Amino acid sequence: MSLESPLLPALIMIFGTILIGLLPSLLRSFTFILLPLISLACLWSQPSVSNLSLVFGTIFTLVASLGGVYAWHLNDRLQQMAALLYAGAAVGVVLVKDFYSLFIFWELMAIGSTYLIWARKTPESAQTGMRYLLNHIFGGGLLFAGILLHVHQTGSTALQALPDNFDLSSLLILAGVALNTAIPPLHAWLPDAYPKATLTGSVFMSAFTTKSAVYVLMILFPGWDMLVGLGVLMTLYGVAYAILANDIRSILSYHIISQVGYMVTGVGIGTQLALNGAAAHAFCHILYKSLLFMGAGTIIHATGKSKLTELGGLASSLRLPLFLYMIGAVSISGFPLFNGFTSKSLIIASAGEAHYEWTLLLLLLASTGTFLSVGLKLPIFTWLGTAKTPHTVKTLPQGMLVAMSITSLLCFLFGVYPSLLYRFLPYPVTYQPYTVYHLVETTQILLFTFLGFWLLRKKLVGEDSLVLDVDWFYRKSGKYFKYVFVDFTAFIFSQVALTVHKITDASILYFNRKDNNTSASIYTVSAGTLLLLALLGLAFFK
Amino acid sequence: MKTWHWVLLGILAALSLIVELAVLYGHGHHWWSVIPGFYILWGFLGSLVLAYTSKWFGHTFLSRDKDYYEP
Repeated sequence: MSLESPLLPALIMIFGTILIGLLPSLLRSFTFILLPLISLACLWSQPSVSNLSLVFGTIFTLVASLGGVYAWHLNDRLQQMAALLYAGAAVGVVLVKDFYSLFIFWELMAIGSTYLIWARKTPESAQTGMRYLLNHIFGGGLLFAGILLHVHQTGSTALQALPDNFDLSSLLILAGVALNTAIPPLHAWLPDAYPKATLTGSVFMSAFTTKSAVYVLMILFPGWDMLVGLGVLMTLYGVAYAILANDIRSILSYHIISQVGYMVTGVGIGTQLALNGAAAHAFCHILYKSLLFMGAGTIIHATGKSKLTELGGLASSLRLPLFLYMIGAVSISGFPLFNGFTSKSLIIASAGEAHYEWTLLLLLLASTGTFLSVGLKLPIFTWLGTAKTPHTVKTLPQGMLVAMSITSLLCFLFGVYPSLLYRFLPYPVTYQPYTVYHLVETTQILLFTFLGFWLLRKKLVGEDSLVLDVDWFYRKSGKYFKYVFVDFTAFIFSQVALTVHKITDASILYFNRKDNNTSASIYTVSAGTLLLLALLGLAFFK
Repeated sequence: MKTWHWVLLGILAALSLIVELAVLYGHGHHWWSVIPGFYILWGFLGSLVLAYTSKWFGHTFLSRDKDYYEP
């Protein structure tokens, strides 16, 4: 294979899955870190990769390697293989040029990521993983149906922008991609699954599925107006549910929906500044969100607990994770000097530039909610105060802290030198994030969000209850679906099988009997055969 | 929160307002640019509205016992 093969960076990781499956523990962890870096080098040596693919491919390989550092202590062959397959498939999604290849990598991602939930090996994760898989099979089905229709209509398999004319093939593709982007009401798999995945698994999951879907949205649906409304809905929906959530990884999961909402809004606005913003925000979001999930992972690893109502009083024993988590928290909240400030503002500015004034205000409103939950509620109720339940604190593996430290540095680096990222965005960037206006706006919003939190801090404590989301529709109706499509169907088939059995038995008995009552047996066999034929006919013609 | 924390926050808020009124006021191109300290109001009221609305909605319609989905 030529080194100029556009898919080589993805294939290195996907076939590397087999290699790490054969290696002993320590070498496996090392190779896991190395393979994405080789992919990264290979990606940068490709002459024909677009800037957009380069930005997404770079951050995917980088975070896969950082995830490998975080999971250095892990000795779970299958989980490591699944994580690398998942990461490699995500890299594939952002490198492909045609629909069919996209679909293959899309499904590989679903397979790899599902195992990251099952690898937790609890009854809850087994059920959640199945729901996650069914959701993604459904989404993949929508995507594939749309692809087939699109290819049938146009004769083209090339991935290119689809006209904003709401034809069925485009809508099916959009629905399939929207499921992976976690656009409500197709989002419920995300906050259902991510909190139940393994600690290292959720770090990977926070990076790949939704962001690879944002990439596909950017390629296929730039400037689709409906995405502006859906994106704003996502930003506020995620924020509202995060205020209600009690599990620390649920809070972070809902904030993935919220942050991806900014990107979806950017895709909907569709101007050069907005698309640059969507790409830059995906890049920066992956860094700080994986850092936040790493931070949540340290808490769960050290204490075995994940609920705000059970945590607290950890500031002295887990000081360094708190510091590193807070770098992720101030980054997502858009503090100056950190990468959220330099990426989110591109999208917000693009809304202003395109005269989406209420969109701009609602995005700013969502950013107050982000600071409220991720920057204040989660760390204060997790690390500060007194422990709400007794817990011992286990020592953290060094790899976890090293990975968090490197990721924190990157959040800071891209906050201080945004041009490091801006120069590789799809379109030329003239936007300057460090203006007096932007600094004043951010300072005022953050300061007074803090004041609002402080006044309501007693109201915002975690509550140990379940909060319904749209997964209620399939989780509650699931048993009825199972009854109709599984249990009832199985009953019918078992009855048919039983009847056939009886007829066969009767026939054998008849032909073997020496002094049989011919007429009675003939009636039995005939009646049985007729019944069998009737049942078969019914099944066939239905 | 210690006293000096509040003092620091107060100084930052005052500084941002002074810079806004001295340098930025009248230069914005949004309809809210003529409202002094608009982002102060937006941040403060926004956080209160989000917190109250979410909690009210959650308590009224969405909260269930944690074993709700258990068979």
